[in-house]
Amino acid sequence: MRYALLVQGGPYSHQASHSALRFAQAVVARGHHLATVFFYHDGVYNAARLSAPPQDEPHLLDAWRRLNDEHGTELLVCIAAGLRRGLLDEREAARHGKQGHSLEAPFELTGLGQLIEAGSHHDRLVTFSP
Amino acid sequence: MILHILNRSPSASRIFQQALDAMGPDDRLLLIEDAVQGALPQLVRYFEPVIGRLFALREDLVSRGLEGRCDDRVLVVDVDGFVTLTEEADKTVSWF
Repeated sequence: MRYALLVQGGPYSHQASHSALRFAQAVVARGHHLATVFFYHDGVYNAARLSAPPQDEPHLLDAWRRLNDEHGTELLVCIAAGLRRGLLDEREAARHGKQGHSLEAPFELTGLGQLIEAGSHHDRLVTFSP
Repeated sequence: MILHILNRSPSASRIFQQALDAMGPDDRLLLIEDAVQGALPQLVRYFEPVIGRLFALREDLVSRGLEGRCDDRVLVVDVDGFVTLTEEADKTVSWF
């Protein structure tokens, strides 16, 4: 089956990101295709490229990246939620006259249309909220 | 069949009532995160209408020190079982 996850909770503030990651790893372990993870609301902070949690804590950013590396999971970040919270890739940073960028591949800034598409084109969409 | 997923304790939030109201006769309810408190004997009464199709996530029970303290009628599943529940359902709805 093709799965999509919607993550709406901020990392390290709520359990949502950790619940979603644990579920994501179980989905791929069971042989399903985790096609998409969509980050929305405070969930977009999962994509902050400079995040540096203590070494003895789960590294959510790296764990999401690994899903992309190993399983081709697309990591989509709502652009409207991201820009408001200072999550800009190089292109958006340049467009808004900002120095530096806070989001990079494999995370992608996308619109809500991608979420609708994930919901309608995949077999399952599971939401993890704060 | 729809799998409803609840993450709030019935002692802290009334959202469980909306979930119960929305559930069809074959739908299932999975308690995750703080909602696993609802599996305890002193709180399970809130979920009386869905006994037999009430599940609780083992990992979240363990992390709260509640494993082994659930009402016998609650079906405890691990995260693999969570995935299985989503496979068996037509779709999922999260309540938070």
